[in-house]
Amino acid sequence: MDSVTVSVYRRDPATEKEGRYVDYVVPREEGMVVLDAMKYIERHIDPTLSLRWNCMAGKCGSCSAEINNKPSLMCKTRIDSLKDGKIKVSPIAAYPLIKDLATDVSQNWDLLKRIPPFTPREGLERPWRISQVDIERSKEFKKCIECFLCQDVCHVIREHKAGYFGPRHVVKAASLDMHPLDSLDRSEFMNKDAGLGYCNITKCCTEVCPEEIHITDNAIIPEKERAVNAQYDPIAIFLRSRRKGGKR
Amino acid sequence: MKAANESSWKQLIPPEFLEPNWRFWSFVFISILGSILIVLYTVPVYDGLTDPFYTPTVLILPLVVLFRLTCYAYRKDYHRHLFNHPNTCAADVRLDSGKRGYTGETGFFRIENVHRYFMYTAWGILPFFYYDIYHSIVYTGAITVSLGTVILTINAVAVTVYTFSCHSVRHLIGGYRDCVNCPANRNSKNSLYRFQSRLNGHHEAIAWTSLIMFVFVDLFIRGMVAGIIPNIVLIHGVL
Ligand code: SF4
Ligand code: SF4
Ligand code: FES
Repeated sequence: MDSVTVSVYRRDPATEKEGRYVDYVVPREEGMVVLDAMKYIERHIDPTLSLRWNCMAGKCGSCSAEINNKPSLMCKTRIDSLKDGKIKVSPIAAYPLIKDLATDVSQNWDLLKRIPPFTPREGLERPWRISQVDIERSKEFKKCIECFLCQDVCHVIREHKAGYFGPRHVVKAASLDMHPLDSLDRSEFMNKDAGLGYCNITKCCTEVCPEEIHITDNAIIPEKERAVNAQYDPIAIFLRSRRKGGKR
Repeated sequence: MKAANESSWKQLIPPEFLEPNWRFWSFVFISILGSILIVLYTVPVYDGLTDPFYTPTVLILPLVVLFRLTCYAYRKDYHRHLFNHPNTCAADVRLDSGKRGYTGETGFFRIENVHRYFMYTAWGILPFFYYDIYHSIVYTGAITVSLGTVILTINAVAVTVYTFSCHSVRHLIGGYRDCVNCPANRNSKNSLYRFQSRLNGHHEAIAWTSLIMFVFVDLFIRGMVAGIIPNIVLIHGVL
C-alpha cells in the first residue's frame, strides 16, 4: 500500500531535556490531512503520542502545529498539498511545551482579560439594533477560532518577548473598538500597555490565519491609526479634547 | 525590553542601524549615489516633457521620500528585507533574529506614526503631476499628444491611486467611525470608505507599481534627451 513518512517531534519535558524527531510510516489515503496521520500514529503505532484536536473541521483551533515549519492547522493541511518528501510536524514554538505536540497557550486567557471588555454606550434603546453596514468589520474578527497560529508566527512574540500581546489580541481589541455600540477606545491601551508599537506590519500573522482574517490590514493598522489619533496627531488630539466623550 | 540603565538617546537608535547589515548599508549607499547622480545629470524639459524627478516637486522631494518611507507598504518591505525582522515567515530560517536587538516602532521608528502628515503633503504635490501633463500638451502652442504625454498621464494616475489607497486615508475617510448608520451620522452605504478599502487591499502592489513607473518615466525621458527613444506624436491639432 502507498504510504507516507511523517517526522514528528517527541518530548516529555518531565523526563527529557531534549526533543527528537521520530519517523512514522502511515498508510496514505485519498484526501488525508496531517491530523489523520497523527491519529493513525496514536491509534496504531504509539498511543503515548500527545496531541490536541477536537472538531476536525478547522473550527475549534485546537490542532495548531508547525508543519514543515509553517504554523498550520493539522486538520486543514492535506498531505497532498505538501511538497514531496518528508513531512515534519512540530509543536508551536511560541508557547511552553506540555508534551509532544501539545503546548500550553493559557497565557492568552490572561492577556484577553486585560483588554477592557465590551462597554455599551449609555442610553441605548432596547432591543439593540445594529445595521448590516456597521457590523461587518467586527464580524470579520469574530471568525477568530483562537488557534494562536498568528501569535506563533509573529517574530515579536516568538523571538523577542518584548511584551507585545500579539496579533490575536489586537484582533480582539479591534473587534470591540469597531463595535458600533461600544463606548471605549482601546487603542491607547494597546499602544502603551499591550506593545502594539512592536508590530512592524510584516504581515506573517495574516499569511497564516486559517480564518483568512486580514489581521494586519483590518485590525492592526486601524488600531495603530487610532493610537495616532490618541497620542501623536496634534490636530486629532485637539479635536478630541473639544468633543470630549461620545462615540463617533 | 530595553535595559533601564541605557541612556534615552541610545534607545532612540534602532539596533538595526548599528548592525553590519549589508542589505541596509548597500541601500543607503545606492540612495546617496542616486541622489548625487540626479543632481549632477539633470534632465532638461524635453519636447515639453518634464521628468517627474524634476517637476517642482524636487524641492519637496524629502517629503515625498518620507511619505513613502513611512507608508505601511514600504515599512513591511524594509523591516523584512533590509532589517531581516523577519526576512521570511517560515519559522526555521530566522535563527539569528532573536539574538539581534529589536525595538520595532517603539524607538526611532515611532516617526512612522506621523505618516498622515506626509500624506497631506503628498496631496499638495499631486497637482504638479497634472500640470506637467497639461504642459506637455500645450507647450508648442498647438495641441500635441505624444507618447510621452500618455506615459506622464499613466504615471500621474498611478501616483494618485497610490496616495488615495493609503491606510491613513482609509482611517480618515471613515475608518475612525464606528457607527456610520447611527442616528448621529446617517450613511447607510458608506460607499466611499468601502471603495477605498478595496483599493487599500492592493496598496502594496500599487505602491510598487507607482515607484517603478517613476523610474521608468525617468529612464524614458533620459532616453529621449540622449536621442535613443523617439517621442512619437499621436495627435497634433491647432489650438
Ligand atoms: S504584522 Fe505585526 S503582529 Fe503580524 S506577524 Fe508581523 S509583527 Fe507580528
Ligand atoms: S486571528 Fe486567525 S490565526 Fe490568529 S488566533 Fe484567530 S483564527 Fe487563529
Ligand atoms: S481539530 Fe478543530 S481546528 Fe483542527
